[in-house]
Amino acid sequence: MDIIVKTAGDDFPSRIAQMFETVIHQGHGSLVLVFLIGVIFGGIIQYTRVDKFEKIAGFAMLKDTIVPKMLFLTVGLASIGLYFMIEAGWAHYHIKPVMWGGLIIGGTLFGISMAILGKCPGTGPVSIAEGRIDVLVGAIGGLLGGLVFTLYYEDFFKPLMGEVAGKWTLPSFFQGHEHLVVLIFGVVVTLIAILIPKVEFFDEEDLKKLPECERPDLKEAS
Amino acid sequence: MSRLPWWVGGILMAGLLLMTFSVFGADRPLGASTYVPYFAGIIFDLDPEKYSYLKEIKNPGAWEGVLLLGALLGGFVTSVFLTKSFRISLIPTGWKKYKNHSVLSRLVWSFVAGFFMIIGARMAGGCTSGHFMSGMSQLAISSMIFGTMVMIALLITGKIFYNTKEK
Repeated sequence: MDIIVKTAGDDFPSRIAQMFETVIHQGHGSLVLVFLIGVIFGGIIQYTRVDKFEKIAGFAMLKDTIVPKMLFLTVGLASIGLYFMIEAGWAHYHIKPVMWGGLIIGGTLFGISMAILGKCPGTGPVSIAEGRIDVLVGAIGGLLGGLVFTLYYEDFFKPLMGEVAGKWTLPSFFQGHEHLVVLIFGVVVTLIAILIPKVEFFDEEDLKKLPECERPDLKEAS
Repeated sequence: MSRLPWWVGGILMAGLLLMTFSVFGADRPLGASTYVPYFAGIIFDLDPEKYSYLKEIKNPGAWEGVLLLGALLGGFVTSVFLTKSFRISLIPTGWKKYKNHSVLSRLVWSFVAGFFMIIGARMAGGCTSGHFMSGMSQLAISSMIFGTMVMIALLITGKIFYNTKEK
C-alpha cells in the first residue's frame, strides 16, 4: 500500500508538509541534515546553559559574561575557518545588506527586548524545550510580532528599513590585504573572548538538583 | 558533567557554523529568526501568495522551521539527560532577584519583549545567530553595525530595567 501525503492544501497539516517539501527541494542540505544541525544547535546551547535568563539578562546586568565569551570565540574561530573554506571553494559568502534604518532601529529594539526577555530567537525555543513557560508566552508575543511584520511589511516596515546601501565586508575596504585583515580580525576577536573577565551568575533552582560533586559553583570555589 | 565550559561551546558552535556554511553541509548561513514570521503565516492562515514578505521568506523560513524542530528536540534531550534542568517554571530566579516576584509582571514583559524582539530581528534582517554569529564570521559590515547596536541597547536596558544594586 502506498502512503499518499497531500501537500497541496492550505490547512495546517499540509502547510507543515509543504515546509518539509520546501526544504527537500531547495538544495541547502537534506531534510535529515537540517534537522540534525538543529539538534546539535539546540544541544550546544542547552548544554552550555547560554539559554538561561541568568546568562543573557545576566550579561545585560553585567553579572555574567559567558554569553559574550562564547559568542566572540565562535566568531573568532569561524571567521578564519570560513575565509579559507571560501578560498578553497568549499563555502560561499552570504552577506546581509546594510540597510541603515533596519539595522539601527531593529538592532535597538532587539537589544532592549533581549535584555528584558533574557532570550533571543535561537535560545528561546531551547528554553521552552526545558520547560520555561514565561518564554513560551514570549514566543506567542513573537508570533504576533511576526504577524504584524508580515501584514505591514510593504506599507510600514520596508520604507522604515530604508534602501540597501551595500553588501560590504571588512576585507573589501583593504584591497590586496584581505588575508591579513581576516587573520587579524579572527585573532583579535578570539583574544577578546579570552580576555573578557569570566563572571558567572548561577541559578540556585538548577544547581540544587545536582549532586554536590557536579555543582559548577562549588567546583570554582574550591 | 552538568554543563560544558564556554570555550568548548564556542569551539563546537564554530564547527557547527562551518559545517552549515560548507557546500558539503547546507551551503547557507545558520539563522534562527525567519522561522517566526514563517510559522506566524501558517498559524494565522495567511495566504503566502498575497503577502510579499511570506514569498520572500518561503525558502529560508522553511529551512529554519526544520532547524527549530531539531533545536527543540536537542534542547529537550540535553536538559533531561545531561544538565537535568528540565522543570516547568513561570519566572526565572534572576528575575525574582533583580526585578520582582510577580508572575503576571514577568509574563506581560515576556510577551511584549517577544513581540518587539521579532519586529527588531526582521527589520535588521537577522538575530544573534544570523547576524552576530553567521554574519560577523563573514566579516559583514551590516552584522557589525547590528552587533554594536544590540550590545549598546542590551547593556543600557540591563542597567535601567533591573535593580542591580543589591539590597
